[in-house]
Amino acid sequence: MSGNNFHPQVKQLLDGEITLADLPPALRAEGEEALRLLAAVDREPVMFPGLDTRVLAKLRRRADSPSFWRRLVTPREVRLRVRPWTLVPAFAAALALVLVLVRPAPTPATSAVTVRFVLFAPDAHDVSLAGTFNQWDPAATPLVRTGSSGVWSATLILPAGQHQYAFVVDGARWVADPGAPAVDDGFGRRNSVLSL
Amino acid sequence: MSGPEGATDGQVVRAILAGDTERYGVLVTRYRDRYARYAARMLGSRDAAEDAVQDAFVRAYDQLAQCRDPDNFVGWFFLILRNRCFAERRKSKDVAPLEAAGAIAAAERAEGPVEADERRRALQHALLELTPEQREVFVLKHVEGLSYGEIAERLKTSVPSLKMRMHRAYDRLREQLKDRP
Amino acid sequence: MRTFRAFLLLALVGGGTTLRAQDISTRLAGRVSPEVAALVQRLATSAAARGLPVDPLIQKAIEGGAKGVPADRIAAAVRALAGQLDVAAAALTRAGPTHPDTDAIAAGAFALNAGLNDTNVTTLARVSGPRHTEAATLRVAGTLAAMGVPAAQTVELVTQVIEAGGESADVLALPGQVSEGVSHGRGVTPAQAAAGLARAAAARANAPGQQKPKPPHP
Repeated sequence: MSGNNFHPQVKQLLDGEITLADLPPALRAEGEEALRLLAAVDREPVMFPGLDTRVLAKLRRRADSPSFWRRLVTPREVRLRVRPWTLVPAFAAALALVLVLVRPAPTPATSAVTVRFVLFAPDAHDVSLAGTFNQWDPAATPLVRTGSSGVWSATLILPAGQHQYAFVVDGARWVADPGAPAVDDGFGRRNSVLSL
Repeated sequence: MSGPEGATDGQVVRAILAGDTERYGVLVTRYRDRYARYAARMLGSRDAAEDAVQDAFVRAYDQLAQCRDPDNFVGWFFLILRNRCFAERRKSKDVAPLEAAGAIAAAERAEGPVEADERRRALQHALLELTPEQREVFVLKHVEGLSYGEIAERLKTSVPSLKMRMHRAYDRLREQLKDRP
Repeated sequence: MRTFRAFLLLALVGGGTTLRAQDISTRLAGRVSPEVAALVQRLATSAAARGLPVDPLIQKAIEGGAKGVPADRIAAAVRALAGQLDVAAAALTRAGPTHPDTDAIAAGAFALNAGLNDTNVTTLARVSGPRHTEAATLRVAGTLAAMGVPAAQTVELVTQVIEAGGESADVLALPGQVSEGVSHGRGVTPAQAAAGLARAAAARANAPGQQKPKPPHP
């Protein structure tokens, strides 16, 4: 909402391109508010004495031969067992929904679309979304549990185009969206496809 | 970039890759605190930042053969730390949740050390509500003091797109810090 | 050393790839093992030299790293994807006349991965014209195949809609329409829903007074 946005000139002030004196009188108060915000920035240096000792100790502990050199960190192998979620039959068809909430009128310029991702997973402790839009980072986009019905959701604004994604349940289970088109991900699992 | 030991980063990296692995300690000591503040402001917690920096050094060691420009070890290390910060799960915010309305209203009164501390914490709390990309550009410019041009070079992006990110961050911070009804 | 040989290869391929090499290692830093990063580097360099898109290879490696997949599995998947890009490029080249753009190649690889074959890709590229980019057509076709519409029906449906004079929005709407057909009909398979839509498009095309646009010549 524009009521909460700083005036563009105040943003120039924040960027350090102009000074408070350069602002028109009507914007002075907002400029002072902006400068108070910057004054609250914590610029204290941070130091970690002893961290170098700990890093070297950790590396030495991992070495199991006199030559010390370990070339590879063996990646974890994640075994995914996708179990059918226990559901009331009425909900079986609505395991997951991707609701395209706002589709802007087709224009030549690239547009962004608001998308709501929903997963019904009552036994999960946490659920997140990983895909091409967030570098497949399972930590970047957590879903939020809404109410006590076992429904998890998140709303994202995504650029128009094609995206692939999957839900990550409890940090380890990668689950494709049962309600969406699915493709082989090349690793023995399926990714969901979203076209905006 | 050379340090008290006299050897450049490139010389040290090449020595390590040639088998003198103990010399990694030179790089760790040299850059131990370089991005500590960046990590602390990005993650909102000193402890989380220390873990992240430690992990990044271990990962950098494992991937040292992948460092394309050994004379710019620190730039490459920054990217590893950056990826690690972006991947950090925010299980709990160490910064205590504050009544933000009270924190900024303090600016209307005479500001003592307690109020200043509360406002710092309110802002850090608000920073954690931004996306990692927004938080990062804010931290690099307003905490680390880099220019837009320097940030653009480091992150391989453009100044206009950084400004767009930053200006959204300003608006979201303002929203977070305003009085709540 | 490996680094020197990689640098030599880059120098041979051309100056433009040096920047890309930095981009690749930046994006992969800390996400994949050194072996995988080196492989992606090699595949990306030779892919770029053949006019193929590089980004899908990097994305696939990042995806594998994020999913905790073993390095050799990531390597296999990235190699397989490079192969699909090659096949897609060849299929698009056969549709002619100009060298295919990287978007279209990436979309073609997506369609192949979804279950279409290279002949399907060539056919779909041939019916695409000024109003329908190859990339958009192939992405829609791949999505339909990913929904379970068999390859033949997918090609039939997309072709019918384009040749009936449909706009690009009509083609983009197809996956949604098939999905609605499946959820509203009882026991309607994606293939049946697609077939129904194809019949409707054909009927519109043959309606009296309807101007059928000339299909583009390969």
